[in-house]
This record gives sequence, C-alpha cells and structure tokens, in this order.
Amino acid sequence: MADPDPSEDMPNEDMDVERLEALDAYNIMDTEPEPEFDDIVLVASTLCDTPVALISLIEKDRQWFKARVGFEASEMPIEQSICSHALGSSDVLVIPDLRLDQRTRTNTLTTSERRIRFYAGAPLMTPDEVVIGTLCVMDVEPRPQGLGEGQTAALQALARQVVTLLEMRRISQRKDDLFRRQKSISANIRSSVNANLAAQEAGRVGTFEIDIASSMIRVSREFCRIFHVPVAEAYPARTFEAMVLPQDKELQSSDATRREGSAPLDVEYRIRVPGYGVRWIARNASFRHDEAGRPVKMIGTVRDVTAAKREAARVQALLDLGDRLQDLSDVESMAVAAGDLMAKALDATRAGFGIVNAADETVVVPPEWCAPGVKSLAGLHRFRDYGSFIDDLKRGEAVVVADVATDPRTRSHAEALLTLGIRVLVNVPIFELGRFGLIAFIHHDQPYPWVEEEISFVRSFGNRIQIAMSRVQAEQEQQMLNREMSHRLKNTLSMVQAIATQTLRPVAERDLVEAFEKRLHALSTAHDILFEQNWTSASVYAVVDRTMNGLGVRDRIDAQGPNVRFGPKGSLSLSLLIHELTTNAMKYGALSNDSGRVAIDWRIEGTGQDAIFRLSWRETGGPAPREPQRRGFGSKLIRMGLIGTGGVLVSYDPPGFSAEMTAVLLQLAQAD
Amino acid sequence: MGQSTPLNNRAVLVVEDEPLLRMMAIDLVEDAGFDAVEAADADEAVRILETRKDIRIVFTDIDMPGSMDGMKLAAAVRDRWPPIDIIIVSGHVSLSEADLPDRSVFFSKPYDWQKVVATLHRMAAH
Repeated sequence: MADPDPSEDMPNEDMDVERLEALDAYNIMDTEPEPEFDDIVLVASTLCDTPVALISLIEKDRQWFKARVGFEASEMPIEQSICSHALGSSDVLVIPDLRLDQRTRTNTLTTSERRIRFYAGAPLMTPDEVVIGTLCVMDVEPRPQGLGEGQTAALQALARQVVTLLEMRRISQRKDDLFRRQKSISANIRSSVNANLAAQEAGRVGTFEIDIASSMIRVSREFCRIFHVPVAEAYPARTFEAMVLPQDKELQSSDATRREGSAPLDVEYRIRVPGYGVRWIARNASFRHDEAGRPVKMIGTVRDVTAAKREAARVQALLDLGDRLQDLSDVESMAVAAGDLMAKALDATRAGFGIVNAADETVVVPPEWCAPGVKSLAGLHRFRDYGSFIDDLKRGEAVVVADVATDPRTRSHAEALLTLGIRVLVNVPIFELGRFGLIAFIHHDQPYPWVEEEISFVRSFGNRIQIAMSRVQAEQEQQMLNREMSHRLKNTLSMVQAIATQTLRPVAERDLVEAFEKRLHALSTAHDILFEQNWTSASVYAVVDRTMNGLGVRDRIDAQGPNVRFGPKGSLSLSLLIHELTTNAMKYGALSNDSGRVAIDWRIEGTGQDAIFRLSWRETGGPAPREPQRRGFGSKLIRMGLIGTGGVLVSYDPPGFSAEMTAVLLQLAQAD
Repeated sequence: MGQSTPLNNRAVLVVEDEPLLRMMAIDLVEDAGFDAVEAADADEAVRILETRKDIRIVFTDIDMPGSMDGMKLAAAVRDRWPPIDIIIVSGHVSLSEADLPDRSVFFSKPYDWQKVVATLHRMAAH
C-alpha cells in the first residue's frame, strides 16, 4: 500500500480561517515573552522529562512559539511543523519515533542535526472549540511507550491553562480588540468581519447628556464605542466636536447653540476617527430647561449609520452615472465624472479609471477625480513600481489593499504609494471580450473598511464606464469615416463638374450648362446636410432652407411644416425637386419678378405604415402661369415626384403655378 | 469694376494638384478676365510668388501633397505677401471663420462657378 499523503491531515481552508481569526482575536502573535507562559513550558518539560517544550501557535504560513525551553528558533515554516498535525483533534498527539511515522520521517526536525525523535502535543482549544496550536514536548530519544498516563493528563491540563491565560489576556485588552482585529486580518476575511460589524453597529444606540454650563458630556458605553473612544463616563463635549468633519460643523451643536437652545435637534453628520476613517453619525436630541426656561441639559441618542448612508450613496451614484454619461462625449470627462461619483459614495481621496496595457503592465490614467489638495496621478504608470498586485488584476481579481504598508503585495513599495497619499488602494479590473483593458481605482489616505458590496459597486461602475467609452470611440470612428466619405464624394462631384465644364465648352446654350451645374450643387448641398447628421437623415426644413439659400432666393419663400426627417434617398430626391421647382419659378413663375412669393407647406397624414408625407408648393404674385410647350428634364424630374413614386399634381391655374406631391413617409425615411 | 486695375496686376495663381480640377479653375479664372498662373503644389506656388510681382489673387485647394497644404500656403501668403487676396477651396464640408487668414474666402467643392467669379471681381476691384 502506498504511503498516505503526509499533508492529508493538514488543516483545511475553513479551519484555517477560523484559526486565524481566533489567533487574531487573542492578539498574541509576535508579542514579547510573558512569564506566565514561560512557566507553563518549564513545568511541561519537567513533568514529561523532555529537553524541549513549546507553546506553538499555528498561523497560515508558519508556527510561532509564544514560549519555549530547549529550542532556539522562535518560529518555523509551516512545512516543518509537527504541531500542525495535531490541529484536527482534541486528543494529545503522540509520535513515539518520528523516523517511523509517515507524517514526520522526512521532516527536517527529524533529519537535521536537531535529531528530534519523540513528540507529544496537546491541542490548544479555545472555548469556541477552535484549535490554534499545541503545547508540545519533544525528546531526542525515541519513546516507544509514549507518555505516562499522568504525564498525558498533565500536558492536557497545562494546555487548558494556556488557553485560559490567552482568554484572560484578551479580556483585559478588550477595548482595543476591535482595532487590532482589523489591523492584521487579510482583506477578504476583513470585509466580512466589517460587514458583520456594520450590521451590529446599525442596531446600536448610544446615549448622552450634555451639561450646558460645564460643557461636559456624560456618555454611555455604546456611545464610546460608536465614537471609537475609550469607555469612560464623561468627556469634555469638545472631544467629540473636534471629530466632526469641517463641512458638517454647522450641524453639530456648540457651546453657543446649546446655551441659546438653538442647536438643531435631529442631524446626521460625519466624524473622522483616527485610524478608522470617516463614519456617519445620526444624532437625535432634546433640551431640558430650568424653571426660568433656560436650557440646562441637552440629552439624546447617537447611532452609527455609516453602512446605510454608504449604501444609499452607492445607489444614488449608480443612478446619477447614467445621466452624467449620457451628456458626455469624450473619454476624459467621463472618467472625471464617474470618478467624482465613486469618490463621493466611498469617501475617497482619489478615484478614477486607467487604460491598461496588460502586456506592458502599464496604465495610462486620464485626469481623475481628486479630493481638494490631492495631487492628480494623470499620466503613464508602471504597475510594478507599486508592488505585485498586477498579477491579481491580470487574473481578473479585484485588489483590495487595506494598508499598503502591511499588505505583502505592496509593502516593499509602500514608500512610493504613501508619497502619493495612498494608504488604502482598491483596483478593480474591467474586462472586455476577455481582454483586460481598464481598471477602476479608489484611493484613501486613511484606513477605510471596505465591504464586499462596495467592490461590486466599483465593478459595476467600471463596466458601465467601459460601455460608454466604447460607444464614444465607435462614434468617433464613425465620424471620421463620414468625414472621409464626404470629402471623397465632394471631390468626385468636383471632378464631374470639371469634366462637364471641359466637355460642354463648345455648347452654345450656356443656360443649359449652367442648369447642369446648379443641379450638381443641389445634390452636393443635400449631401452636406446628410453629412451633418452622420449620414443618417436630414430634416425637411433644412433641405428646403439650404437649397433656397444656394439659389439666393431664401427670402422669397415661406416654408413651414412639422419636424420630419428623411433618409438619404428621400433627402436627395427632395433637394433635387425643390431645386427644379425653384429654378422654374425663377425663370417663368413667381420668382421671375421682384415681388412674387412661394409658400411651401408640408404635413403628415395618417399614422403607422400608411402615413403619407404631403408637400405643397404654391406660387403667388408672379406673371400669369402658362403650361410649358416643351417638357425639359426639370419638368420630367418634377413629374416623377418624390423618390420617383409619382403622386404629383401640378396646376397652372391662377394665382400661380402649384404642385402637390405625396409619398409614403416610411419610404422617405428609410435609410436606403 | 476691374477696368481701372493695371494689367500687370491681374494675375491669379491657381494652386491645385489634380490636373482636371486645375484645368477647370484656369478656365474659370481666364473666363473672368484674369491671367492664370498655375502651380501643382504649395512649394511651387511659393517659388512663383517669390519671382513674380504681378500676382493679385491666390486661388488654392487645401488638400495637396508636398511640404505645405493649402492652409499653410494661405498663412504664408498672408504673412509674406500681405496685399494678395486668397480664395480657398476644399472638399471638406466647412471651415470656421477662425481657421481662415484675413482677406480670404472659402468655397466648398464643388464650387459655384458664378459665385467664385463674382468674388474674384470683387477682390480685384479693391
């Protein structure tokens, strides 16, 4: 049979987390030796008659010894740990000869010059039944009989004693416990802890009573916890007034407003807690008056409403984002607008987006949102100048560095980050079609307790920004393409003009040549209007207006109708028709004298697919109309009607020439 | 209008890289009663301006190969030969007033022959 895997009884991940949290709660790792613990290992080694005894605490990557006799190292890598095999059980682990046990025969303690042969370890089990390490003894001689019965029981009793000491120690440190816990747990565990804390805090109510004459404030224990100050019965009121952010100062009561009884009663303001960042406080108060009616006390309650406030701010920011992005058409102002919204929702000092080159591991930061007095990071940056977190980003993981000075990914570059005012760093990678091209970043210059919902919030912001940026990019490309297309088209029309001019030089009827040239211009004008609308549509009014302008008779025309847009084909057709009608009127009709006018009216009749566009052209004030003898190209064009579908009625009855033309609106509005 | 202008001051320099368009522009200029001088790009135009003193108006396209485009040529003309009037044509849809040098007029291609002729006459009449 094959040897069992030496790692099979190593702690699994869940146990890992529980153990790390328990260890953290004790705040014991890397502390100075303490005589109570030293005494226990001394007693253990004497009782078991071993040269070595240790209180061994198992962290993620190492075991560390709170107390030791007969052993020089203060810690060892987890791979060399024997104690880690004892974590899975509440019983004493005894290994009579390490050389013979599959779990330990290759262990360096066995093979190195230390030549440890015998091991016995009693688990250190917390009241919550989490094993955090062992009290262990070791010998350089094998002990086939193991420990005596009395020795085993004594070792277990001493192990319980160790835990009792740890518990006592913890209770005495309780008021700092919360802080320390947050300081060193890794970011992921931390955010869940914070979420729990936030939930608890939301339900907590602190009470206070301010004596107005002395400005002293009596506070409850909960009040102290909410303001993160040591629990005490009373404080000077200014202790808490000093914590309020400058922009919220007016909401907080002061000596003067309390004396007058004018302080606002129900307010929400922000405080800055050193080492803990910004918190939202909801305070409700009322005044107690003396017999003369003067306020003597202000009493009330406080609640920490940070979590609720931030959640509301996030929802609002996401709502605002849509509006802000809609109005913007360049990537830079989008990044600033979105950064502004993110920063406000997260009380950040800096927030924005960076365009990532994953292959080069560089990022170009367009101008971002910065708190007043904070320097912008706009420009090119190399990720590796700030640590190794680019590896996580490339894998698509959000990077939350709770403290750049302690996080293993940034601590060797902490100076570079702190110089830029970055204490807390969050980078969320945004992928498009599997490609890592954008990051959203948030910086805080003070500790900030990130929660999972906030990471999702940043991610969703990033995704929406990316969509908006892609849209803008596509629009810019389209614009460029249109410009190019228009340019080529107009050059081509110029060539046609040049060829015609050369070809028609010998033609004696100059008016025909001129008519051709003018038609070419009408076509070119219609293209101009279409181009301005990205080649999609043109308004009827614009086509009429511009064509008339080109012919210099705009002031003789009364044009009106609803705002209707035609597609490219409809626009070109309308423009040519209006051109022919106008030149005819200039030659024979109302525009051939100085006073005649033309009324152009259009309207939509019916709805849906059958809606009809109807345009009427009525000339007045010209010479008596006469039907032409010969039908030229112009008349033919007019009779073909809009997009060549007919539907034209012309009349030469007084008071002047008139034409009615109709076509199906849907066909006119079609893109092609 | 143009009659009082001395003959040696009625030359128009046509700068256009596309031969067909240049030919048309020369016809236009000559039909309007001016002497046409032609150049295929801005560099050639500058060489001509440096040697001939009778150029009254420069008629130039914008998009041309060579070290200068028509806009740069127009700026150079305005700088080095202040009395010369300028007509600029291009297939680009429009140019804003701010982009144009003083005493220059822009026409979008294809241009209206009559309007260009009228502008030439107005410029020469000053």
